[in-house]
Amino acid sequence: MSLRKLLAAGLAATMFSTTAFAETNITWWHAMGGQLGETVNKIATDFNASQDEYKITPVFKGTYEEALTAGIASFRAGEHPNILQVFDAGAATVIGAKGATVPVEDLLNENGVKFDINDYIAGVRYFYADANGKMIGMPFNSSTPIMYFNEEALAKAGVSAPKTWEEFAETTAPALKEAGYIPLAQSHLPWIFTENFFSRHNLEFATNNNGYDEGVTEIKVNTPEIKAHFTALKEWKDAGLFEWYGTGWGDNQNPFEEEKVAIWLGSSGSFGGLKEKVGFKFSATLLPYWEGVTKEPKQTFIGGAALFAMAGKSAEENKATAEFFQYLTSPEVQYMWHKETGYVPVTEAAYELAKEDGYYKESPAAEVGIQQLQLPAGEWTKGYRMGFYVQIRDVMNREYGRILTGETSVEDAFATIEKESNALLARFAKTQG
Amino acid sequence: MTVTDTFSTPPAVTAVKVKKRFRVKRETLIDHLILVLGALFMLFPVVLTFMTSSYDNLAFAKSGLQFGWSDQFFENYERAMFETSGFTGAIDGVSMLTNSLILGFGFAIGKIVISMMAAYAIVYFRFRFATLSFWIIFTTLLLPLEVRILPSYEVVQGLGLGNTYTGLIVPLIASATGTFFFRQFFRSVPEELVEAARIDGAGPVKFFIDILVPLSKTMIAALFIIMFVYGWNQYLWPTLITTDEGMFTLVRGIKNIIQSFTDSSSVPEFTVGFALTTITMLPPVLIVIFFQSWFVKGLTESDK
Amino acid sequence: MKRAAFSSPWMPVLLLLPQVSIIFVFFYWPAFEALESSFYLQDPFGFTGTFVGFENYLTLFQNSEYLRISIFTLVFTVSVTFFSLAFGLLFAVKADKVIRGASTYKTLLMWVYAVAPPVAGILGVSLFYQGHGLITQLFGFFGHEFVIGVNYYDTGFALIAVSIWKQVPINFIFFLSGLQSVPRSIREAAMIDNRSSSGRFWTITFPLLAPTAFFLLITNITYAMFDTFGVIDVMLRSEPGNNPMTLTYKVYVDGFRGGDLGGSSAQSVILMLLVLALTIFQFRLIERRIHYT
Repeated sequence: MSLRKLLAAGLAATMFSTTAFAETNITWWHAMGGQLGETVNKIATDFNASQDEYKITPVFKGTYEEALTAGIASFRAGEHPNILQVFDAGAATVIGAKGATVPVEDLLNENGVKFDINDYIAGVRYFYADANGKMIGMPFNSSTPIMYFNEEALAKAGVSAPKTWEEFAETTAPALKEAGYIPLAQSHLPWIFTENFFSRHNLEFATNNNGYDEGVTEIKVNTPEIKAHFTALKEWKDAGLFEWYGTGWGDNQNPFEEEKVAIWLGSSGSFGGLKEKVGFKFSATLLPYWEGVTKEPKQTFIGGAALFAMAGKSAEENKATAEFFQYLTSPEVQYMWHKETGYVPVTEAAYELAKEDGYYKESPAAEVGIQQLQLPAGEWTKGYRMGFYVQIRDVMNREYGRILTGETSVEDAFATIEKESNALLARFAKTQG
Repeated sequence: MTVTDTFSTPPAVTAVKVKKRFRVKRETLIDHLILVLGALFMLFPVVLTFMTSSYDNLAFAKSGLQFGWSDQFFENYERAMFETSGFTGAIDGVSMLTNSLILGFGFAIGKIVISMMAAYAIVYFRFRFATLSFWIIFTTLLLPLEVRILPSYEVVQGLGLGNTYTGLIVPLIASATGTFFFRQFFRSVPEELVEAARIDGAGPVKFFIDILVPLSKTMIAALFIIMFVYGWNQYLWPTLITTDEGMFTLVRGIKNIIQSFTDSSSVPEFTVGFALTTITMLPPVLIVIFFQSWFVKGLTESDK
Repeated sequence: MKRAAFSSPWMPVLLLLPQVSIIFVFFYWPAFEALESSFYLQDPFGFTGTFVGFENYLTLFQNSEYLRISIFTLVFTVSVTFFSLAFGLLFAVKADKVIRGASTYKTLLMWVYAVAPPVAGILGVSLFYQGHGLITQLFGFFGHEFVIGVNYYDTGFALIAVSIWKQVPINFIFFLSGLQSVPRSIREAAMIDNRSSSGRFWTITFPLLAPTAFFLLITNITYAMFDTFGVIDVMLRSEPGNNPMTLTYKVYVDGFRGGDLGGSSAQSVILMLLVLALTIFQFRLIERRIHYT
């Protein structure tokens, strides 16, 4: 080999390696399995293809709880990812640990990405923000509980989707039962019938401004409105108007897919999966409310999860993370994510794009979640912030299960939830000081 | 004293004899019946799972486990083994099988080597901290890994051993079962052997390698089978310590199977899950069946 | 103890080093850490924390749910231990007795030993599946609507049944080898001595099996308390809900799912003390037996 050739080859090799070196690699741990995970992978692949400075690698870490645990453990070991997906119930833990994350608002501003919280749709803005309204986590897969119904079943029973629980109890449910259906099922009692119950009816959920302010928070769950709701649920269940299939999400969704249950309360993010799986005509509408509690139902808040930029990374990597967030929140990507999965788009611009594109004309049910998030806000609708909330939800699930199986009374169950939750909240306050 | 068994039937009364024979026969029949029922009880769940793994997902979703045979067998197994998932495509049946084998072999070999060495020191040497070492090792029998799982996890993560084979295997070795097994065995080795070796001028290393190890062959094989099965079947530890998809073992993959069962975003992959379940069961089951006598020997002699 | 044969000062140290160092790093250190963090309430990320003394323990003792879980653990342990020992013994006695097909039965009854607990859990999930699980349907046939994940007792039953299934083989193997080590002369003498085979069993064979049974008792208790983790985690599908669970599973739920390091560590320490008590009990009994025979 001639010297020139050798030099050329060497030069090429160096050039190749420098370009490879200049590419900043970042990682993203998420909890999106199945079809959702594939969409996540698509976003990452597209982002990597859209430019050549940064490369993101998404890694599936199991359930929400497992992803959070893995993220925390890796942080303690100093081997954490750049981006960690944290679900609603884990928000207090990750936002409470001040040095663990870089607030997304700061991250974007420092890296020259324009940020205005008002670009985000109303229901999404403050759930992952601190007490002063600064956005800490970037809302990602945002969903809200909505009501799905089997159109054929409702037609057969000669009813329309109920607007209020009163209507459901008096008209809808008996007719559906008559038509041979189990009228109602739902997939997440703490999320749909507790957290969002408080938001929909604009009721205080916890002291300290629903937990957003500093100090020892107390949950205000032992209140007449929600107790009345669970009393009604139990009565419906005994009368065959409602069924509960356990704590598992899918166990409650399956009977709806099998056309045994006529109305199912699930996540707006369930839309994509349902569309793919079921053969019958279904639609969705807003979550019902109790007219006896409020005449002006409010918006619900988001569930799902947000992306947190973890602290302790180099400036280049943070820049890459910021660039990725910018890409992720661009209208086109949000619209794609919305269409593929059913999660709501987080920005107004993406929502506009979806409308312009005529998406909601072709599938109106996909718009329900976002409409519900944009209903008028109230004093108690921006979200909640409570520590050890995973355990608090476990306590709720346990006690609700016992109410519905008749092992305990509504009164005792809510007293227990209040007592155990407040004990957990007091313990959490000690971990923070 | 009355004589009552088939062994020594008195020749006299034939009527009694016939009656007895009938009774004995009936009793034997009942014995067999119990054993057959027992075998079915053990076998049935697995057979059903295996059969169902030849069906499509819809069959399970509609009517549960299947008794029969369908045409999806090869497709399901192929997908279980070769279909990749994850962004990097690092996870498929083959990679999980490889990791399971590494865990099974690594654990079994590591445990045997380390515990043989320790047992040799304890049995054949007189040294200062013999009793102390014995107790240090002994106390590990008290606390199963499950009980100290959280701090163990922190320690291993803190050492930067998360998602490594070392972090996966070594902490599992920190229990003294193997050491006790060999200690028991070494103590049953005739004293004359050591004497003879010493007269021949063999040192401790030579004695260990030339005499003790060959002598322990059966015991090593027996322990190997038990430890391989034990390592292969680990669930909690791999679940915690491996978060990197490329490091998943088959048993760890069970968690993903269950998640896919409950995943509501798409049709659950039931039967591919059952295929993977079958693949997970197969290697340790085959080893136990084929090396049955070693395995039984190892099991019953290690824990006494 | 065997007489020591070699006396090299450094050799035993070298031989013991790997084992002892692994034990120190991966056993004593974590055990000590568990003890330490059980006295703190700590932010999961490790930034802040408060020393709280025995508060984590007191919280547990005041929590009615912890008591309920303890009671379930007791019921679970007793049922799993009793039934898997009983089945193991029954099959062993019969397999020891029959001549035809003995080795086939032996293989068929022992191979489940090699099935991992979470795999047993998967089998349980499909057999007890809501609606169309085989056992679910069987219950339905007898008029009981069995709903795993909804009815506390149904779920408990399913957990216990699967755990028993997984544990029968090991008991079978031990009892069988115990039976086969009973000398022929004793058996023949027993046959002459005792008319009925069941009487023979309880007066002669069972006492001879007692040491095995006692050893298995401890093994089974340990199994039911700790090794059933995989069965439970898979069958509950990581959703505790209103389902029964064992103390070991609770350690995991609070520590890993919930991020309550202090509370979870306190539970670990309680379990450690429990195992310690069990071990001391075991040794005292063995000691006594050795003493008198």
